[in-house]
Amino acid sequence: MTLHLTTRRRIITFAVGVFAFAILLVQLYPIIITLVNGFRRDIIILSGQPFALEQITTRSYEIVFNNRQFMRAMRNSVVVGMLSTVLSVSVGAMAAYGISRFKFMGRNTLAYSFLVFRMLPQISLVVALHLLFRSVGLRDTVAGITLAHSSFNIPYVIWLLIPFFVTVDRSFEEAAMIDGCSRWTTFIQVFIPLARPGLVVASVFAFINSWNEFLYALILTGVRTQTAPIAVSGMVGGEVLTWGQMSAASTLMLVPVFIFTIKMQRHLIRGISVGGVKG
Amino acid sequence: MRAGGFGSPVPFLIPALLIVFAVLIFPIAFAFFVSMFEWPLSGGGGARRFIGVGNYVTLVRDSGFWNSLWLQLGFIFIAIPIELVFGLAAALLLNREFRGGRVVRALLLLPVFFLPVVSGMTWRFMLQPRYGAINNLLVSMGMPQMNLLANAQTAYAAIIVQDIWRMWPFVFMLMYAGLAGIPDELLEAAEIDGASYRSRLFEILIPLLYPTILTALLLRIIDALRIFSEVYVMTEGGPGMATMLFSLYTHRIAFGHMRVGLASAMAIFLLLLSVLFAVTLVRKNLSLEELERRGGGG
Repeated sequence: MTLHLTTRRRIITFAVGVFAFAILLVQLYPIIITLVNGFRRDIIILSGQPFALEQITTRSYEIVFNNRQFMRAMRNSVVVGMLSTVLSVSVGAMAAYGISRFKFMGRNTLAYSFLVFRMLPQISLVVALHLLFRSVGLRDTVAGITLAHSSFNIPYVIWLLIPFFVTVDRSFEEAAMIDGCSRWTTFIQVFIPLARPGLVVASVFAFINSWNEFLYALILTGVRTQTAPIAVSGMVGGEVLTWGQMSAASTLMLVPVFIFTIKMQRHLIRGISVGGVKG
Repeated sequence: MRAGGFGSPVPFLIPALLIVFAVLIFPIAFAFFVSMFEWPLSGGGGARRFIGVGNYVTLVRDSGFWNSLWLQLGFIFIAIPIELVFGLAAALLLNREFRGGRVVRALLLLPVFFLPVVSGMTWRFMLQPRYGAINNLLVSMGMPQMNLLANAQTAYAAIIVQDIWRMWPFVFMLMYAGLAGIPDELLEAAEIDGASYRSRLFEILIPLLYPTILTALLLRIIDALRIFSEVYVMTEGGPGMATMLFSLYTHRIAFGHMRVGLASAMAIFLLLLSVLFAVTLVRKNLSLEELERRGGGG
């Protein structure tokens, strides 16, 4: 009987494994084909054999690396992502500290408002932002798109950080303040080093949010500050059949995201459940 | 408190509040203001005309607005239930230890982190006639050779399938975490009682998972309401108006038809709808106290 049960359980486990693997293949096919197409010649891609791997080449990558418009867009994405991350994590950390270390009237309302702000559709803001940015000269500037990205990253970072901050032991701060440090000094010199793990997670997610963002970049940037998602979307259109280059460029954009995703595994659930990852 | 020390939270909150006011609250107020004008995108100040609720009246009478609203609702009502069922089923299935389980779970999540714009382009590629993999699969199953993105029904189906593909693992991830939070004793007790799997599922597991299911549902609705880039690169809302979801139509009105006032009225409408769902989500499912109690664990 016991043996029978064990065998049965083994068979079920095996069947589940096979089934999961099949689903996984379907789920990963679009990703794999993007990675593979970057190394295939367009003529092979257009032959319609999804698994043909003849004439592997790095030609598409060479073209993409020599595509000055795309490379500039990649650089813009990195710059905007880093600036927006630094801005939203520093400002967001301060706000999260204020919310998690002080009791004050309207504290809950304030915290929840930030969460609702994170969930607003970009299209609801982008028309007004376009008009406002145009009138103050922020359209097609790094400052403009950085600020726009911070509008969703700041609320996001605040909510990501609050649970991290709560776990930081207060006694170190109390000791520092008894020793005569001001709140501010305590925050910078005592609290921030203790809260580093949370800040790293928040930085990574804030960067990915900015890296993936499409609609603000589409409307608020122009030739000079165009980001990579916009540049890559411009690669395919009409009858231009350069899927190889499109795939190579896409792969370059996916690499940082996938590296972070794997590194951040432990924190993914929280990262997305406060409304992350969407562009 | 000594000089330079912050005894109050205000100095910590001010920078965030200032930026959020400048790039979020003020633009919303401005959008509301613009929505009361006939306001051409490129024209000078002279071309603007105050029309009160005129834009909102125009919207109610605009067949394009209703079209985008129905497409948007259809998208939500078709895609999200499927994502929830897939996500829950996969979570129940994978909620056991098997060799390679960790790797499988990690790989399953990759589509969630596939850039939306890249996802849209890859799907566009797979749907192409003659060489696209999905097109070839359908042809081998007996469908005629056709451009799936040039046909109204198949294009609409395609944007829905794309969303299901990318986002059911997101639901899975939430459900899996939810399941992990249910104490084993509860499940074991049911097992000893001899409850069949079905009754265990519907009488114990699903009620226990209800908060997670609700969170997933609301998060997905809020997200689906603002979908833009995937559809934009797959179809640009076409063919015709067949995939012109709400954000795409607003974008078209503002930057295609250059009617910023009318687009702002749409923006405000969508904003109110999203706030409604967001507030429901926040009030029901995300409590600050709860988050603080749980701390940094999970």
